Amino acid sequence: MAANKLVFRKTIIAGTGLFLCLFLIVHLSANWILLLPEETARELYNSYATTLRENLFIKSISYILYAFIVLHVIYALLITIHNRKAKPQKYVVNHFLQNSTWTSQNMGLIGTMILLFIVVHLANFWARVKLGMGEIIELDATGNLDVYKVTFSLFHNIYYVIFYTVLMIPLGLHLNHGLKSAFKTLGFYHKKGLRISAKVSLIYAVIISIGFGVIPFFVYLK
Amino acid sequence: MKVTFKIWRQENRNTKGAIKEYKVDGLTEDMSFLEALDHLNELLVLKNEKVIAYEYDCREGICGQCGVFINGRAHGPHDNITTCQLHMRSFKDGDTIVVEPWRAASFPVLKDLIVDRSAFDRIMEQGGYITAKTGTAPEANAILIPKEVSDSAMDVAACIGCGACAATCKNASAALFASAKINHLNNLPQGHPEAHKRVQEMTYQMELEGFGSCSFTGACEVECPEGISITNIAEMYAKYTKAKLFG
Repeated sequence: MAANKLVFRKTIIAGTGLFLCLFLIVHLSANWILLLPEETARELYNSYATTLRENLFIKSISYILYAFIVLHVIYALLITIHNRKAKPQKYVVNHFLQNSTWTSQNMGLIGTMILLFIVVHLANFWARVKLGMGEIIELDATGNLDVYKVTFSLFHNIYYVIFYTVLMIPLGLHLNHGLKSAFKTLGFYHKKGLRISAKVSLIYAVIISIGFGVIPFFVYLK
Repeated sequence: MKVTFKIWRQENRNTKGAIKEYKVDGLTEDMSFLEALDHLNELLVLKNEKVIAYEYDCREGICGQCGVFINGRAHGPHDNITTCQLHMRSFKDGDTIVVEPWRAASFPVLKDLIVDRSAFDRIMEQGGYITAKTGTAPEANAILIPKEVSDSAMDVAACIGCGACAATCKNASAALFASAKINHLNNLPQGHPEAHKRVQEMTYQMELEGFGSCSFTGACEVECPEGISITNIAEMYAKYTKAKLFG
């Protein structure tokens, strides 16, 4: 029997989502270098950025990452289209907040906000550093591309600081619901374990969203 | 007690429906919600108007016939009850009560508040039973079943198929219903021989019927009159994967 569309699509969303959750831990740990004093942070950050670009293993992982982001978005879109067809008529009155959270009812909207963030984020860094678009990036004293300077100048624009910080709210909400739901979608049904996974998801979402959210402010104040 | 009912009226599945307002006096707090609708229908008969069509049978919360959406909640403002278990004391004098039929593409409206829930029956036809001929009722303990297993099977066997789960779900997902029916039999020794086939065919039928996918909002378990937990959906997914790998 062919794979069930309803289950298969959600499994893809859950699997790719869990990988993205792992990636965020690595990404945040590295970005916390930006919280260090400038003289230490610049060299560490630039040499780390060079390692990311030049290490073959990390490069291969980065292609998986791009593919998983695209898959996560495409399958979310397919699921949303199918779900809209399954519920073509809405209720005149619907007090869904009495039986569920706003986040769980609006993962698509929140996900779209995160997608917007990713597009801007990639344009700010990935397009400049990896594709060489925009202004030429200078080299630092050790001969690495001065990605620290790119970050530093971006986060001295208050509009970007606000954008990068505020968009961490939908990220946190998405992670909290997404992570605990991914476990369930992948068939983890131990009741006590699920209560623990709900707590872990909340802690994870808070650390990731606040962790990323404070970076632009710290850099702005440097 | 006086309330204003705003009720969905629709002639049949091919016509467009609309909300119609009825001011109803002479109700008491002790009346059940369905008795209040009966009272309104009696008034409509006296006025020579068409009565409101709605389903009911047992009126004691065990048959699953009477589900409607009341003031933005499946089965009304309380958690884990059926529509027939709702009483007018849950509302205040002068309240407006909006009553709508279940909304899901797979539950087309037949008339007013009645929807066609035969999609659930067709899911059941794909494995909501065992094919072994059981003959007359056997001795209860002929097959020894640990209490933990029989308890968990009974928790989901309690599903009355009212449709509130799919009706309240933003995606019209029937995952809670299907998982209850699948886990009920798959966890019992009698259901084991056909376990893999059951989970695959019942979930496939759920897809064919046009139900949406589960987003784990948890709304279904709050509205389910039997309080069936959404962990059953996760268990169904685990059983599905196992069936795909080893079935």
